[in-house]
Amino acid sequence: MSKILVVDDEEHIRLLYSEELKEAGYEVITADSGLKLLERIEAEKPDLVVLDIKMVDYNGLDLLQDIRNRFYDLPVVLSTAYDTFKEDTKSIAADFYVVKSFDLTELKKRIAVALETRLPS
Amino acid sequence: MAFYEENPSSITKADMVLAIPTFNEAGTISHTTMQAAKGLAEYFGNFESVIVNCDSHSTDGTKDAFFSTPTGMAKIYISTPPDRPGKGNNLRNLFEKVRELEARIVVVLEADIRNVAPHWVRNLGEPIVKGSGYVCPLYVRHKYEATLSSSLVYPLMRCLYGRRVRQPNVGDFGFRGDLVDAFLSSPVWTESVQHFGIDVWMTTIAMNARVPICQSLIGAPKIHRMKDPYAHLPVLFPQVIGAIFDLMMAYEDYWHQVKWSKPTLLYGTDTHNVETSVPTEVNVTLLHELFLQGFDRYNDLWQNLYDQTVGPKLQEIRSLGLQHFSFPTQTWARILFDMAKSYAQAEEPKRAVLRDSLLPLYLGKVLSFVKKTERMSIQQAEDYVENECTTFEETKPYLLKVWE
Repeated sequence: MSKILVVDDEEHIRLLYSEELKEAGYEVITADSGLKLLERIEAEKPDLVVLDIKMVDYNGLDLLQDIRNRFYDLPVVLSTAYDTFKEDTKSIAADFYVVKSFDLTELKKRIAVALETRLPS
Repeated sequence: MAFYEENPSSITKADMVLAIPTFNEAGTISHTTMQAAKGLAEYFGNFESVIVNCDSHSTDGTKDAFFSTPTGMAKIYISTPPDRPGKGNNLRNLFEKVRELEARIVVVLEADIRNVAPHWVRNLGEPIVKGSGYVCPLYVRHKYEATLSSSLVYPLMRCLYGRRVRQPNVGDFGFRGDLVDAFLSSPVWTESVQHFGIDVWMTTIAMNARVPICQSLIGAPKIHRMKDPYAHLPVLFPQVIGAIFDLMMAYEDYWHQVKWSKPTLLYGTDTHNVETSVPTEVNVTLLHELFLQGFDRYNDLWQNLYDQTVGPKLQEIRSLGLQHFSFPTQTWARILFDMAKSYAQAEEPKRAVLRDSLLPLYLGKVLSFVKKTERMSIQQAEDYVENECTTFEETKPYLLKVWE
């Protein structure tokens, strides 16, 4: 079972994503901020991270850079309420991005593709 | 390959090599050399560095212009023999020299870049210091600049090797010194690679060597000496596409295993002063004419070559006027996949005909891209290219099927 780390400072989003992704067959762990995120990833070894871009204390795009620098191949799906972030070139370091919605069809589709991505080791 | 060398400072070891490949660049090499030297001094002052001009036996005084440029930095000149031209051959000499010098960091800058600046050296070299194996620049580009990358090289390489490198054949790079072992032992060293195919060859080998790849934001467009893109295309296009197909044969075990694609590391995201792109004009009438002329010359070949769904589709595209012209991306992907397979089964000189026959179709695809994106911003056009790449990745099972 693939383990997904959902990073979002809004509790209802963490709950929604957790429930739906668990139902879809994933193991889900959550974080409510970017605090010590890299250490958390190191310890929990998720297979994929769903990362909110705009958190109160953290910029998800900066966290994405940190993740890429330390965990070169870890899939990251950016999740945001606005799609203007695409103008920031940092966003291209993400595997995918989705606009937040109560319908998680797109998110689940992107997660499935990101987990299915295969590069020879 | 034996090369001619002048090494007035008798340099035998270096931490870092800054290389400038040339062919008759007497008028431009001084500027590039000076900017490179400034970059090395400012950002890599703690390293033992050397500037290497890897030349293709220029006859215009490039070597003298290189050596007479005041830099306060050690310089080496190496050159191919007169009977062995080509940028690829220049760079092969460089790889051998890098191995000899046991350099850890290598940065390559083309000689004719008018706006090259010292920070370009930092952006291509520092990711290597920080652990990357290969660095491609990300220049600021207009949506119609470098359409060979947007419409062919980027989507095809991305779906084959699974790495999202947006400008993989740009001519300037940074790489780890020990990567020259992979370059020098590559099974592919064809005529195409020895010339303009060298850039995609290097990036492909880096991808197959599984080294961490980084894209580095330069924050500026790359402004060359003015070139007529249509005049150079009949030479450049077959060499680039030939190199990609040659590499596909050698690395088929690798790309067969790749599914979808992954992004790469980014460097230079803190660049504040991002310049704007240089507007690029496209002559859509000429593109349309050249596309249609392709049918006069290659129609029979195309009908035999391509999948039975592609032939009628091409006729349908042919019948569209300029105003409503559209070339579906899935058709384009299938054309490239069918062509790759036919190319693998053919021998020269048939391969040369296959390479040339693809050019009118590529021009049709560019025309379609221009029509679709004419009202789009640069960012929207980038999103469009990303969607095209996804179509290539979705169509890859077709390639696996025809390749069997």
